[in-house]
Amino acid sequence: MNAATGQLGGVKVSRQLTAWHIGFLLLIILFCVFPFYWMVTTSLKTQIVALGTPPAWIFEPTLANYTEALFEDKVGASLINSLIVAVCTTMLALMLGTPAAYALARLEFRGKRDLWFWFITNRMVSPIVLALPFFLLVRQLKLLDTHIVLILIYLTFNLPIVIWICTDQFRSIPRSLDDAAKLDGAGQFHIFSRICLPLAAPGIAVSAIFSFIFSWNELMYALVLTRKAARTAPAIAVSFMEGYDLPYGKIMATSTLIVVPVIIFALIASRHLVRGLTMGAVK
Amino acid sequence: MRIMSYLGAAASAIALTATMATNEVKAWSLEEAAKPYAGTEVEVVFLLRPGYEAAKQMLPEFEEKTGIKINIIDHPYENSLGEQVRDFVAQGDLDIALIDLVWIGNFAENEWIVPIETFTSNPDLADPELDIDDFFPLVLNAFGGWNGTVYGLPFDNYSGLLFYNRCMLEEAGFDGPPATWEELKDTYGPALTKDGKHAYALQSKRNETQSADSFARMLWPFGGSFLDANFKSNLLSEESQTGLKFRQDLMQYMPEGIVSYDHAETVNGLAQGDVAMITEWSAFYSTLTSPETSTVTDCLEIAPEPAGPAGRKPALGGFSLAVASQADEDEQAAGWLFIQWVTSKANAKKYLELGGVPARQSVYQEPGIAEQFSFVDALVESWQDGVPEFRPRFAEWPQITEIVQEWGTKIMLGEVTTEEGAEEIGSRMEAVLDEAGYYNGDKPLAQ
Amino acid sequence: MTIFAFLGPAVVTLLAIGIVPLGFALYTSFHRYQLTNLKKTPFIGFDNYVTVLTDQAFWQAMGRTMTFLLMALPLQIVLGLLIALLLHQPGLSLLKTLCRLSLVIPMATTYAVVGLLGQVMFNIKYGVINQMLGWIGIGAINWIGDPTNAFIAIAFWDVWQWTPFCALVFLAGLSTVPAEIEEAAKLDTNSWWEIVRHIQLPFLMPGLTAILILRTADTLKLFDMVFTMTRGGPGSSTELISLMIQRVGFRGFDQGLASAQAVILLIITIILSQLYIRHFYSEAQR
Repeated sequence: MNAATGQLGGVKVSRQLTAWHIGFLLLIILFCVFPFYWMVTTSLKTQIVALGTPPAWIFEPTLANYTEALFEDKVGASLINSLIVAVCTTMLALMLGTPAAYALARLEFRGKRDLWFWFITNRMVSPIVLALPFFLLVRQLKLLDTHIVLILIYLTFNLPIVIWICTDQFRSIPRSLDDAAKLDGAGQFHIFSRICLPLAAPGIAVSAIFSFIFSWNELMYALVLTRKAARTAPAIAVSFMEGYDLPYGKIMATSTLIVVPVIIFALIASRHLVRGLTMGAVK
Repeated sequence: MRIMSYLGAAASAIALTATMATNEVKAWSLEEAAKPYAGTEVEVVFLLRPGYEAAKQMLPEFEEKTGIKINIIDHPYENSLGEQVRDFVAQGDLDIALIDLVWIGNFAENEWIVPIETFTSNPDLADPELDIDDFFPLVLNAFGGWNGTVYGLPFDNYSGLLFYNRCMLEEAGFDGPPATWEELKDTYGPALTKDGKHAYALQSKRNETQSADSFARMLWPFGGSFLDANFKSNLLSEESQTGLKFRQDLMQYMPEGIVSYDHAETVNGLAQGDVAMITEWSAFYSTLTSPETSTVTDCLEIAPEPAGPAGRKPALGGFSLAVASQADEDEQAAGWLFIQWVTSKANAKKYLELGGVPARQSVYQEPGIAEQFSFVDALVESWQDGVPEFRPRFAEWPQITEIVQEWGTKIMLGEVTTEEGAEEIGSRMEAVLDEAGYYNGDKPLAQ
Repeated sequence: MTIFAFLGPAVVTLLAIGIVPLGFALYTSFHRYQLTNLKKTPFIGFDNYVTVLTDQAFWQAMGRTMTFLLMALPLQIVLGLLIALLLHQPGLSLLKTLCRLSLVIPMATTYAVVGLLGQVMFNIKYGVINQMLGWIGIGAINWIGDPTNAFIAIAFWDVWQWTPFCALVFLAGLSTVPAEIEEAAKLDTNSWWEIVRHIQLPFLMPGLTAILILRTADTLKLFDMVFTMTRGGPGSSTELISLMIQRVGFRGFDQGLASAQAVILLIITIILSQLYIRHFYSEAQR
């Protein structure tokens, strides 16, 4: 556990290093969190205070923006929509993607590399251009403004992420484990689900976090394909940007409401990250 | 005896028919007209602006009287055209079209909207009190009319007005607002631009604001225009160039980075006391007079926009509501009833009081209105003088406005001269019009 | 047959969802497809493509986007790697967990919100950035209204938002390095750089390739944040290629031209990705 010290130096070096270590970590935390902090404080300001010069650090907070956003502007409903869509599409992506990643990592077949590349390219086409055909198609199928539509369309960028990250994760699991299980008479699926899947937890956790975040934050398709019933949170947030006035307080309140659930999800998922890492160390 | 009873019967029969006849003539009422359509749902796109909030507050009354449900889909202005175009192309749900004055040519030529004649000639649906002449002619023509046909009734109406900070002007020694643009630049500009404050701010952000508010506003008062009689670019004419150069010169009295100022920033500049004068849409009246959003409520004054050598040509903008042709018969009728009702003479006062700006001449002549709403005098005056083609309204405007936005901002940034910018806009504009068939006679020269 | 069972569902899903719209886009790219003039949609072959490839504005936008990529991506990779290494060190577990959690915040923030936040924070008058610069004696900078500064501002936000992504991907990659090898290396040398270069790098390569491909593709698609902050302005200084496509497709309603642009963009992305893979990934092929 004293890896930081090396052969020379001893305690003094380790203290110095630790001080730097702490310093940098704090700096990173500050850098990441400050804009978020500014967002939250702005959300507690009235419009006049928010737009005053110079910006105020100390002021009288108000919850009016939040109550207005949640109840008058239906932000609450949109958060639920976002939650439904993000959770479902992430689960779907994991269910479809992890077996595929396993196959790409373990099984040999012709065209494997091309298949892998094709998966990735699905993420590369600009949603701006695909928005119209999706709209026309969805309209024909009378699925406009439904959750299922977004859940499926988001797979075009979630599935590639899951496959990508998990393929590498599966590759790093030693084949010896597979072989041992085969000797015991285990089938391919058993090996996949009982042995490799748990060991791939960090990768799965990371790809789940990313998938959830990207789905939660997706804007273009949500704007075009939803109206009222399935409107997601980012779509509502930008609808305040009429350009006619600057309800920054309200926009920041909505933004805070949007970001908080994702952070909670990351909290839940990152526990698996930690577990995965320590598992690797304590072989 | 018999004769008496016959006469009595005849008399009462005549009396009955007479009353029935007069009742029929008198009895157009909204409730009656809407009876066959009770339960119909009508979809429409609304913006998040004061006029629409006013309409939303009036809705329950309409829905109660008619049983017709109006489903409102809110969108920021930026997305509203795209939403409607996509919906019409895909044979979607929208039953009423919200038409910015610059979209009317587009919508009409694509036959996405129904001329009001269809409804005004139908005695079941037409309100005898419609009084279409009560609308300001300029507004009705510009917002709802295209190529001689009226499609929509003006709903959300704006004029450019000069909002100014009387206190700042008085401090600098002025006892009134500038009457001409030259005065604003040469006299008021230097006097009011000091100590971190600026005399004037012109919203110029690279979206419709640049085309409508910044570019067009400096063309017309100087005698310039987008197109000449042959639909070729008129931007290189002496008058247009004078206007554009004037704008460049005026920039020295505007805040830094004015090219990134949209309506919100400009209005906020005045509201926070940093800018002395702005020429903005009438709708901002409520923002500037509310203590929640403005610190200059006591000093705020309103006047018509300054005049140029070619006269006073204030900015013109607004939206009309028209019935969408993709709606089925019931929805069309229900939609028409709503449009007619919300823009009616009877409702104009309530609309005004709730924060909207109606286009009915009668409401502004009522006693007490001008005192209660300080923008009324300037507004009425502006709507007498305006130019319907303030921005050309033909179907190709969406492409052309993009060109104007790009090069208009480049001119302001000094990346190209006014001549070069005008040249670019002109040639690209003509390319678009050429492709659309205006120059070989395929399309009539309507704007 | 197990191959089909494992891969089948994913392949079928993506085919079903992805192919039709892409096909439509391709189809419209060969026609004149103006949403506001759908009465006439003649087949025009490669005309749209020629227009795009000879349009100065298109190449300028591409140039801007590439400059942006070259500015932001190396920064994200380097910073991300440093952060990952820092988090990979043992000890200080509470602080590290806190750090890992706070890394999620930038990635989790909706891109459009980042743009709006940018408007608030970088505003010349009521922006906190100028306020803080004032504390160290630098005068108020016009961020959003100045072409160069606006570009720097959007690059800043891109770095802020995606460095955590790089860090987490690298961290996952570092977790695949067998602990024994790492321990052995640490006994051999004190230099962390040596350890990185010789021991950890091969395990980081897949992650690096992933980052390169994803960030390149995403930058070419980058829209929300820039749009809400600057709308592509002032002038055209922050009009990245995606904003241009949106302008053509959503505002000019020329779906045919926009599709051609998107297809060309897709081809460019594929070429770049193949280059990345050939260069970086194949080294790590096991």
